[in-house]
Amino acid sequence: MSSRLYDWFDRRLNLKPVQRTLLDEPIPGGASWIYVFGSVTLFLFLMQAATGMFLAVYYAPTPDHAYDSVRFIETEVLFGWFVRGLHHWGASAMVIAIGLHMLQTFLYGAYKPPREAMWMMGVLLFLIVMTFAFTGYLLPWDQTAYWATQVGINMVGTVPLVGDLLSRVLRGGETLGALTLSRFFAIHVLFLPAVIASGIALHLFILRRVGPAGPWTDDRASLSSETFAPRQVYMDAVVIAGVFALVAGVAYGIPLPLTDKADPSDTSFVPVPEWYFLFYYELLKYVHGPLEPLATWILPLCVILIMFFWPFIDRNPVRNPIRRPVALGSGLLFLLVVFGLLGISIKNLYAVPRADPAVARGKAVYAQFGCAGCHRIHGEGGAVAPDLSTVGDTRPDRAWHLKHFRDPQSVAPGSFMPKFPLTEQQLNDLTSYMLSLKRAT
Amino acid sequence: MNHSDDTHSSEGAGLSTPVGTRRTFFHWVTVAAAGFVGMGLAVPLLGSLISPALSRRKRDWVDVGGVAELPLGRPMQLDHVTTIRDGWMETKAQKAVWAVRRSESEVQVFSPICTHLGCGYRWDDGAQKFLCPCHGSSFDVNGRVTGGPAPRPLDVLPSKVEGGRLLVMYKDFKSGLTESVEL
Repeated sequence: MSSRLYDWFDRRLNLKPVQRTLLDEPIPGGASWIYVFGSVTLFLFLMQAATGMFLAVYYAPTPDHAYDSVRFIETEVLFGWFVRGLHHWGASAMVIAIGLHMLQTFLYGAYKPPREAMWMMGVLLFLIVMTFAFTGYLLPWDQTAYWATQVGINMVGTVPLVGDLLSRVLRGGETLGALTLSRFFAIHVLFLPAVIASGIALHLFILRRVGPAGPWTDDRASLSSETFAPRQVYMDAVVIAGVFALVAGVAYGIPLPLTDKADPSDTSFVPVPEWYFLFYYELLKYVHGPLEPLATWILPLCVILIMFFWPFIDRNPVRNPIRRPVALGSGLLFLLVVFGLLGISIKNLYAVPRADPAVARGKAVYAQFGCAGCHRIHGEGGAVAPDLSTVGDTRPDRAWHLKHFRDPQSVAPGSFMPKFPLTEQQLNDLTSYMLSLKRAT
Repeated sequence: MNHSDDTHSSEGAGLSTPVGTRRTFFHWVTVAAAGFVGMGLAVPLLGSLISPALSRRKRDWVDVGGVAELPLGRPMQLDHVTTIRDGWMETKAQKAVWAVRRSESEVQVFSPICTHLGCGYRWDDGAQKFLCPCHGSSFDVNGRVTGGPAPRPLDVLPSKVEGGRLLVMYKDFKSGLTESVEL
């Protein structure tokens, strides 16, 4: 049936040459599992496009309704939580797939002449994908989305001369609000898809003009080729199915709760960016004061420019990685820095929730004795005694707290804080709680 | 499906392509993978798209007043505020119903919309009838049609009495039909 239908169209549209162009593309050296990452990235892009379209059916890009509409998708729409999960984790998977695709291209020296333009187009596509990630992050309009975007836009503001203007353009004015949300939405679902579709088309066009690079052997003349279909198609399909199963499994297994609705007045909220921006977030902690622009834009700009022009910086014509120690060394150094920062950042992040149980018990003691009657923590409690929001930073000395709780006058003469009848256990727990109150890392 | 005899394969000197059972194997694994991914995406995506069409609007019981305040046998219009859920939006709306107390604890509640073309009707004490101002339909105190073009009796809303309070579930009905069909 399907072949008769195909023949019917073929007689009219002359499809055979098209089929040959699409499927019989020669792969130098034969099909390989190492070549699947480009196809996987393309698949993930299509999945993001499809899930995004269906999310847009329910999403409302205004501060009044964005949060409620996402919650509606999560709780009321059949499979809504799953579609949102696919879109969320699909974004992460896409960043990973692009990373592996670039790594493979780098290792195989596949960016070398005549494929420089394909590499440069690829770097541009990567930047577009990161812009997708940044603009998409704001859309749920919860606290995380709001404050992470606030930080991101403020970083743009540190660029000299144009920074201020640039951040106003991004926000659509002075403050992050309705205008920001609607322009991020339009960029995310209208502008960027148009740009990336053209970019992907160009990337693939270049690929078909210059052909795949194949293995890194110098003796290219002796290489035999294999058609793209069926073996490379089969390999691509198997890995794509595996990747889909993985993303679907994560979307099914890991719920994606919204934090509270965005509250511009709640400045105590500490946002954490997506993992693929974490290394950058970590970097910003080490650079302060006048050097800050170095981390916020000079370094990223340099890295992007080096990546973009890499085929012209690395002029060694050899493709075998063993004979390219400098290129490989710099690539490795780059990965070490990125993953090192990512590792440190993840370690710091998980150090906070993995607090010892004494902190929770101490918190209960704090509530039991009504400490909040005088003290304030993150905006809650009275204001007659010192604010304890970051007392762990300002007074990190455990002994001081123990002594202070036994007799406030002994370390703080004139203090009107009463002596509370605390047991030894309560004393220790309360101190642990005090020391845990730090500025978020 | 002519993969096994598809042996146009080795045209160029170095260009090869798998043939025979290997080709068939690659073909079917590809089809299976595509089917798996396609179904895995189609079911949730289309499911999410059509889901609102399948779910009935949730209705809540709304307290419209105390039963004791209703006179026996004389229809009263009761106003109340109801919450209307429209997707992710919730709005409050003023709704009215006509309630007729039949006995101590038995109350019948009518939708305030004429069954002809959807106008609001009123009770006429003198004529002892519900009169619709639009096209002259009239109904007796039990909701039966007594004149005019109305095709069916007044629509009865689900109601119950709990602790002396009258609770009503507000609904809309299609107008112009001989049967009462909920919207």
